[in-house]
Amino acid sequence: MKIDFSKEKLTLVNELIYRIKIMETMTKELIYFQKNTTFREIQLKLKEKKISGVPILDTQKNIIGIVSTDDVITAFDKKYIDEDIDKYMTQEVITVPQNFSIVSALQKFEKYSIGRLPVTEFLHSKKIVGIITLSDILKKLLEVTQSIAGKIENEESKNSKISSDFIKNAPKKFFRFEGNGDDFNCAGKVASITKKYFIELGIDKEIVRRIAIICYEAEMNICIHSLGGIITIEIDDENNAIICARDNGPGIPDINLALTPGFTTASEKVRALGFGAGMGLPNIKNFADKFEIRSSLESGTQLKAIINLGVKNENK
Amino acid sequence: MKISEIIEKCQLKKVVFDADHEIRNGYTGDLMSDVMANAQPESIWITIQAHKNSIAVALIKDIKAIIFTNNVSIHQEVIEKAKEEKINLFQSRKDSFTISGEIYSMMEGKTEKD
Repeated sequence: MKIDFSKEKLTLVNELIYRIKIMETMTKELIYFQKNTTFREIQLKLKEKKISGVPILDTQKNIIGIVSTDDVITAFDKKYIDEDIDKYMTQEVITVPQNFSIVSALQKFEKYSIGRLPVTEFLHSKKIVGIITLSDILKKLLEVTQSIAGKIENEESKNSKISSDFIKNAPKKFFRFEGNGDDFNCAGKVASITKKYFIELGIDKEIVRRIAIICYEAEMNICIHSLGGIITIEIDDENNAIICARDNGPGIPDINLALTPGFTTASEKVRALGFGAGMGLPNIKNFADKFEIRSSLESGTQLKAIINLGVKNENK
Repeated sequence: MKISEIIEKCQLKKVVFDADHEIRNGYTGDLMSDVMANAQPESIWITIQAHKNSIAVALIKDIKAIIFTNNVSIHQEVIEKAKEEKINLFQSRKDSFTISGEIYSMMEGKTEKD
């Protein structure tokens, strides 16, 4: 079977194959033989268990070979089916350590055109602790994606119940913060107050994090680049958080250039602190559902970011 | 993996140790916006940026612990802020590459299950 690693279509699976470990996926109940076994005994076992190969282990469970259906067929053909396997078995066995991600197993399946891999205790060890097949991996992936889907569904229904009530009752006041240019110590305040407020409303953590990131970057921009400005945050009737940042100048001469990742006009002093890497505005744009920016050298910069709170209004 | 295991294996100096959280991820970087965009929640952050804004970034991203590498000096107000916000702070003489490698290989050998 060919595995399609296509990035666009399988982002989740692509992430999972790097995250899930072989030890969570492999079969631990191992069927194996020792070297004083005949091919016929193995053939019967393969048939009984409907499997396509078995590892051959020594008494310490170290791997010394492998016998596959192909080897059994060859044994029939060459008429040594009733002989012991140790002369004929494949001795160069490809294995994979249990603490590697399943992507390592998938790569070996493809590279060596095999369908099963004995799993070792750790790298360079020969001790076998399980076996992993493509169907083990597919089963695990299905299991994990299903549980993720279940979790998302649960959270969505919880969200729409709890927080739409909360939001209805929440004071519709909006926050307003003033920031001075060059005031690094206050930066982060808007983001942390805003974050606490939305967490208390019961909004999904991931959405709150996006709001906080946008607030923080907007604050930093006011600190680093402007002569001072204000940030307001409010919730509209469609349950969107609207973050507006306005400053008193000096304005951005070329907005497209400012939105280019990596472009910066920050001073050396600011950059030494890990700011002004030309990622602020691109970050705001990426984390917002909608993003508008206007700037002129006369009126300064106005930025508006809209984030849906993931809360549905109840049906009338 | 528990923070205490990381402290022990990497021989970190405890600056602020509030609670022994479970750590699932890590991120290494000195650019605030990069960390903002890419660090995972419940993670440990490895950096040389020992100033107050690092605490703000950790707070926003739900980063549970910060390791300041290269033995950078940490100002008292950073420590106070971290205590207030319950962010764990550690210090190491090693560089970010070494610490990241140590933690990465510890995490690779360990999974949430088993």
